[in-house]
Amino acid sequence: MSAVTPATRRPRGRTLRAAAGRTGQYAALLCYLAFLAFPLLWLISTSFKSPQELGSIDPTWIPREPSFDNYRAAFDAQPLLRSALNSLLVAGSAALIAVAIAVPAAYVMVRNRSRVTRAGTGWVLISQMFPFVLIIIPLFLVLRNLHLIDSLPGLVMVYVVWNLPFSLWMLRGFVKAVPLSLEEAAAVDGASRLRTLGSVVLPLLVPGVVATLMFSFVTAWNEFFFALVLLKSPENQTMSVILTHFIGAEGAADLGPLAAAAVLATLPSLLLFSLLQRRLAGGMIAGAVKG
Amino acid sequence: MSLTAPRADAAPGSRGAPPPRTPAQRRRALGLDRGAWFLLLPALIPILILSVVPLLYGISLAFTDSQSGRTESTQFVGLANFADLRFDSLFWDSFRIGLVWAVCVTTLQIVLGLGLALLLDQRLRFRWLARTLALVPWAMPEVVVGIMWRLVYHQDAGVLNKTLGDLGLLGLFGNGDNVDWLTDLALALPAVIVVGVWAGMPQTTVVLLAGLQNVPHELREAAAIDGAGIWRRFTSVTWPALRPVVLAITALNFIWNFNSFGLVYVLTQGGPAGETRLPSLFVYEEAFTYGQFGYAAAMGLVLVGVMAVLLTVFLRNRLKEETP
Amino acid sequence: MRATRNRLRSRAAACAAVLSLVTLAACGSGDGGGDGTVTLDYLSLAWQQESVEANQALVDEWNAANPDVQVRYVQGSWDNVHDQLLTSFMGGEAPDIIHNDASDLTDFAYGGYLADLTDLLPDALRADIPEESWGTTTFDGGIYGVPFLQEPRVLIANTQLLEASGVRVPTAEDPWTWDEFEDVTRTLTQDGDGDGRTDTYGVAWSMREPVSQSVNLSLSTGGRIFHSDDDGKNEIRFGADDSAVAELINRQVNEEGTAPSSSLGMSGSDTLPGFFAGRYAMLPLNFSFRQQVSQQAPDGFDWTVLPMPSGGGPEGLVQGVAPQTLSVAEDSDHQQAAADFIAFLTQADHAVELAQGDWMLPTSRTALTDPSLTTDELGWSTGVAVAQYLRPSPVLGVRGYPEWKDKIATPAFQRYYDGGSGLGDLREQLTDDGNRILDRYQR
Repeated sequence: MSAVTPATRRPRGRTLRAAAGRTGQYAALLCYLAFLAFPLLWLISTSFKSPQELGSIDPTWIPREPSFDNYRAAFDAQPLLRSALNSLLVAGSAALIAVAIAVPAAYVMVRNRSRVTRAGTGWVLISQMFPFVLIIIPLFLVLRNLHLIDSLPGLVMVYVVWNLPFSLWMLRGFVKAVPLSLEEAAAVDGASRLRTLGSVVLPLLVPGVVATLMFSFVTAWNEFFFALVLLKSPENQTMSVILTHFIGAEGAADLGPLAAAAVLATLPSLLLFSLLQRRLAGGMIAGAVKG
Repeated sequence: MSLTAPRADAAPGSRGAPPPRTPAQRRRALGLDRGAWFLLLPALIPILILSVVPLLYGISLAFTDSQSGRTESTQFVGLANFADLRFDSLFWDSFRIGLVWAVCVTTLQIVLGLGLALLLDQRLRFRWLARTLALVPWAMPEVVVGIMWRLVYHQDAGVLNKTLGDLGLLGLFGNGDNVDWLTDLALALPAVIVVGVWAGMPQTTVVLLAGLQNVPHELREAAAIDGAGIWRRFTSVTWPALRPVVLAITALNFIWNFNSFGLVYVLTQGGPAGETRLPSLFVYEEAFTYGQFGYAAAMGLVLVGVMAVLLTVFLRNRLKEETP
Repeated sequence: MRATRNRLRSRAAACAAVLSLVTLAACGSGDGGGDGTVTLDYLSLAWQQESVEANQALVDEWNAANPDVQVRYVQGSWDNVHDQLLTSFMGGEAPDIIHNDASDLTDFAYGGYLADLTDLLPDALRADIPEESWGTTTFDGGIYGVPFLQEPRVLIANTQLLEASGVRVPTAEDPWTWDEFEDVTRTLTQDGDGDGRTDTYGVAWSMREPVSQSVNLSLSTGGRIFHSDDDGKNEIRFGADDSAVAELINRQVNEEGTAPSSSLGMSGSDTLPGFFAGRYAMLPLNFSFRQQVSQQAPDGFDWTVLPMPSGGGPEGLVQGVAPQTLSVAEDSDHQQAAADFIAFLTQADHAVELAQGDWMLPTSRTALTDPSLTTDELGWSTGVAVAQYLRPSPVLGVRGYPEWKDKIATPAFQRYYDGGSGLGDLREQLTDDGNRILDRYQR
């Protein structure tokens, strides 16, 4: 089956209306992007401004005298590269592990309704409802007993568990949408459960898995509180914790270098998004079923 | 095998009887066989250790007078914390604010997110760029987001007042002077709600966009050929397939929004005059600033209870339609 | 089928990759030592580049001189130090040496998390820092921190506007009275283009955190707000002495229009753009804000540091402060070594370096006489001149103060300054509701 563009199928009389609709769509999209992306532009603009310009009452989008001083200062002041690597390691592992264990679990939760899976589903929601500030101290104690304080693997484990509810809850929806008859066919062919999951169900879950991956990565990349209290050593610190080192008492901040560091902290996620976005949508189901 | 048969099953409108189950499946459905356990355990064990244990411990605190400090020992006090809480009018005031905040933010996120997801699902030029840029709020670290939006809302040197002033729209919000968005009693809550919506849009959009892939394209196109209008196509084809995903993300968004306070705290610290003091901020301060863990845990439990009731009401009605 | 197996294999490979990532990460951590050397963690909250550098240089100097007591510099942030400390205290993993501010020490000291330094500090240091300052960190007879840096609130003024208005320029010896200050702000407030809107306000009060300012400034008019009786029980009162400054601010904002209401929600830094643009003629700010002012001021912009107005009499310039402190964790295995390091950091010549880095004043009497601090440049001398009037903030040592501040006082003051409620309401809330909270902590 080949993708058929809607336009080729439309009768001619409708092209004008379609063109108008198209324009409307672009206009709407532009509004959305202006709303969603302008703070990033502002952040980038800020990162190139001098302290004097930042103190100006008349802010401009384009810096009057752009310079890289803030970037230089940010790199001088804090171990940005090291912390970015830590963040990448932690967020990457957390995302991959979360997805690896969430897919099978979500599958079982949908396909085998039992007391365990129902309790699991309930738990997933309750655990998100209880204010996390109340969990931090007991969690700290558990991790200390496991000798996982001040270690990146400990933080990875926390993130995995913290991302599981979303991953499970989301993937459930996607598993539900997989037609049962496909699996039955595989079962008739004598495929084991694991194989059915891997060869039949998984390909249909790709958009969901990608969404989950992105979510887990970004949550772990941006997460701040756990990283703050669970990591002690300067060499273990993650990017989001490092960023707060540019903030002083009473809301004062070293704005220029902070903006510069924040731009650098934003880029990896954006890069990941642009790489993965294609997998989020765009005929994956059709393609997978055919193969 | 044919493509159309499974599609028809999953397709909307066939919400009648579930597909016939084989005896083997029925046996499986009763409990968990070994294969199922094998698939479930990798998720179950970490959850037990790092989520269930701390959570139960946290819940148990609600029935004690636990405080920070090692000088005083913790005692079981039964329901005393809950009795105190009943008369804590400040907490209930903030509860009202929390509900307004969570409902507004969640609704706007879903409505706007759905619109954006539908747009991003179209075959538009530069779609990849649009999809990436739409996720910007996600990519920015929260610490920075708060500071950025403070700059945007800044009364003297904020880009928002400047833009509105250039467009001559400042008069809409008062007497034409620069608006102080975050300190005006009437504007502060709406202003932080906008930031809340902004910050939560990407995850909603991404989930909905992924969910849209469950919508069979053939059906949509078939409906288009039949001459169905956009709205009819949406309600008859897209919405039924998207519903489970919408419900799931709405429930999660509501919980998250009700529980989030970091962003608002950076923006207003709960001010002006407590107008943006969310209940979760209350819990946080009770626990971390005043060290009253027992009382804070009791507040937390009350929040969980209220959310659970609201969600049950919300989900029960919807899920009934989903699984007859 | 082969496709399936391939897919499985690639999944297994992915799992292996993840595992190796984790083990790799595990290798990164690990504590040194074991050969008799002691390693101490020093949690520092320095954040401006100069002060981070000053701290790190001192740590390096110490490490070179003390091979068997090595100090590791750990960067913290004012933004979240309380949460970080509370968690690590409760989990028994606190850093040995802790940089903080006196107002955050009360609960930690009473909670038993901080070491009593009374017998650990050298006499020279005890003598060099005045009793007033030690009072900020003494709870229940124990000393739980070394107060080493402090800053008064000062008026930072636009020199050009000040000179143009022809008002008398005050000094620490001959300051403005509050009444005079009120007159001055009237003179400075202007509607340059005559469109009925004020273009320059005499003063902009940044009241994002209104409580500590209101309490600390009330000392100048003989108030304290927090009064403790003979057996140490605290009580909140809000009489005429206590409320004089608050009333003045309220008048300026709501009656005279000499201070904008919009700045009430701002932090100190937020008021700077308006100050540089001439919208505000004066800003009451902490002494260390001079760093931001000097960094951000446009070329050719002149500014002056003035003492806050006086409430009259010899004690008229008095104000409350909560100094920055260095403490030792009770859990630390090497309390004496940690205290020695603190003594090293706070000895007069080092205190001068730290004070310069943070643009603050040292508490050390010797350090205050250092020529680099008594210079007239950048307003240093004004700060040094008012240093003798700094007293422990009345809120220090009061258990329950944070809860009173967040739940009662902050909203009450915000409403009052904004003109939404009257003095009677404010008094009632601060005292009636407030004392109920304090009583809970003093049972």
